[in-house]
Amino acid sequence: MFQLVVRHRNLAAQLGLVVALTLAAVASLIFGTVAVPLDSLMDALAGQGNAIHRFVIHELRLPRVIAGALAGAAFALAGCLMQTVARNRLATPGIIGIDNAATAFAVASVVGTGISVAPPAMALLGAAVATALAFGLAGANGTRGYRFIIAGLGIGAIAGAITQVMLSRVAIDSANAAFPWTVGSLNARSTTAVITLAFGLVIGWVTALLLGRSLNTLQFSDPVAINLGTRLTRVRALSLACAVLLTGLAVAVAGPVGMVALLAPELARTLCRAGKVPLTASALAGAVFMVTADMAGRLVLAPLELPVGLITAIVGAPYLIWILVKPTSRSLT
Amino acid sequence: MNDHAVANPLASSALVPPLTVAVFFVVAAVFASLLWGAGPIGPADALKALIGQGSEEARFVIMELRLPRTAIAVVTGLALAVAGALLQALTRNPLAEPGLLGVSGGSAFAVTLAVMLGASSATLTTVVAQVGALAGCSLVMLATRSRGLATDPVRLVLAGATVTGLLLSLTSVLMLADQRAADEIRFWITGSIAGTPFSHLKAVLPSLAVAGVLVVMVAAPLAAMSLGERAALGLGHKPGRIRLLVLVAVALLVGGATALAGPLVFAGLVVPFIARAIGGPDIRKTLWLCLPIGPTLLLVADTLARIIGAPAELPLGVITALLGAPVLLYIVRSGRMPTL
Repeated sequence: MFQLVVRHRNLAAQLGLVVALTLAAVASLIFGTVAVPLDSLMDALAGQGNAIHRFVIHELRLPRVIAGALAGAAFALAGCLMQTVARNRLATPGIIGIDNAATAFAVASVVGTGISVAPPAMALLGAAVATALAFGLAGANGTRGYRFIIAGLGIGAIAGAITQVMLSRVAIDSANAAFPWTVGSLNARSTTAVITLAFGLVIGWVTALLLGRSLNTLQFSDPVAINLGTRLTRVRALSLACAVLLTGLAVAVAGPVGMVALLAPELARTLCRAGKVPLTASALAGAVFMVTADMAGRLVLAPLELPVGLITAIVGAPYLIWILVKPTSRSLT
Repeated sequence: MNDHAVANPLASSALVPPLTVAVFFVVAAVFASLLWGAGPIGPADALKALIGQGSEEARFVIMELRLPRTAIAVVTGLALAVAGALLQALTRNPLAEPGLLGVSGGSAFAVTLAVMLGASSATLTTVVAQVGALAGCSLVMLATRSRGLATDPVRLVLAGATVTGLLLSLTSVLMLADQRAADEIRFWITGSIAGTPFSHLKAVLPSLAVAGVLVVMVAAPLAAMSLGERAALGLGHKPGRIRLLVLVAVALLVGGATALAGPLVFAGLVVPFIARAIGGPDIRKTLWLCLPIGPTLLLVADTLARIIGAPAELPLGVITALLGAPVLLYIVRSGRMPTL
């Protein structure tokens, strides 16, 4: 009976998130500098009706919504995996420097330092290098314990500094071209990057689901997980690889958008509450969060557009401070 | 004050040789900062200008540009190093650094807000920066009260890093919304003393003097507190009051430094780390050693910032991050984490 309720609760949470995502997406298509009423939206989506509306929807808003949803889902899934593997809810890719390193690598290719690899590939490489470095510097402890996180923090700081150096050395228009990379924005997404991200997300999501049971056992201590038949090293390595893939590709689309990886899994855990690692729910929550935040960024100070990374950071503030000052801080540790 | 219980470190002469060496390094760094720069004036011309000879232009560059800048670097380095040492002793966390924990971030955010609202005088900016730093400090102390963060140095740092990131994002929003304010602080916000006018230094000095008095007052009690709060109580100190005084001192120091140089990360981490490596864990020794080492580090970093990318300048914050992050990694790798 309990099992049934739990299962239904998870399903209900996921369905609810799908509905929320649909609503957020539709709202995000409707509102903007040019408002597109709902019936015109349907026409435009079907390829009919007003030419302006068609252009706005097909060329501007739809690709943006898709990019936002994919990037949000990827960030959130990566965050959920990282949190589970490191057993620490603060250990998200953004905090441990993966975002920053991916950005530094991507900026290196955008500002033309002679490296002519496409930005998504560079971002992925950066994410991988940062994780590998953090892993190597952490020594025998692997992803467990504080060393991995602090090593990541240091690497993130160095990567951030290098990004600044590059931006301060190049001509102003190159720096402007690279600016979206540094704050996190859906303005500069490239179609190839979005398509790559879509493939990456599918791969990451399926792998995560296959690892699902093992990840659930990771919530216990190592000996318990081993006794339950989990091959710890393999699960950790695979989860980490997934997180790197997802973060790298998402940074290539949206830049380093903070807080999605922290907040979305938290929301998903609250909704599901079933002792399971809520992988799919996290991804959905991330997509909802990102699409909504991007819409808010476009509307709040219109016509000025706030980058989505700023919105997510500001929304994350009260929540984060709440975690910090709450006397009985529940942690995954 | 209870000197028989916690021996005065300067009574033993062990501290004299390292202090002498460190002072020598400061003097060397001051000269380096005066003699090398981005412009065409080389060391030889600079020397002539210093003793009042040489071309008009060289004298101007040295006396009006490099000398004030060097003075500002010295004061900033001093303030950040002492603040870092105090914060680390108070939280017993070798990674507790004003820049990492969000104290500098709070300060920078407050200044940006003030500039946006039209503040322009140096005195006002300094006060605002210090109030912002106090808010940041209070948040840190609140965080250390929470059960998970008090005992775990890394979680505190992680939390601080997140708060810092957040404050910087909020600062960017303000800058996006107000172009004029953004232009005013664009370079400062990355951490730089390139454009800081000398009048700012004069505005900051009084509050730093107050902080200095506070530091002298709390040094011995802090050393006692490193034995544990009960021991400090037993020695006749009042932990609550000491904590408050330290907090105010850190806020004054970091706020002052941020008003001068923008939010600099890692300076407050590296210097006390070196000082402890030389002088051991006693906070009084650490503070003494921070006095020469802090300015040395900032002077070296600032000189590097000028000459690496000459004729353009690198932000000072970039150099301190590049110098500081490896130290952070080393502290973590050395496995000496919980030794405070």
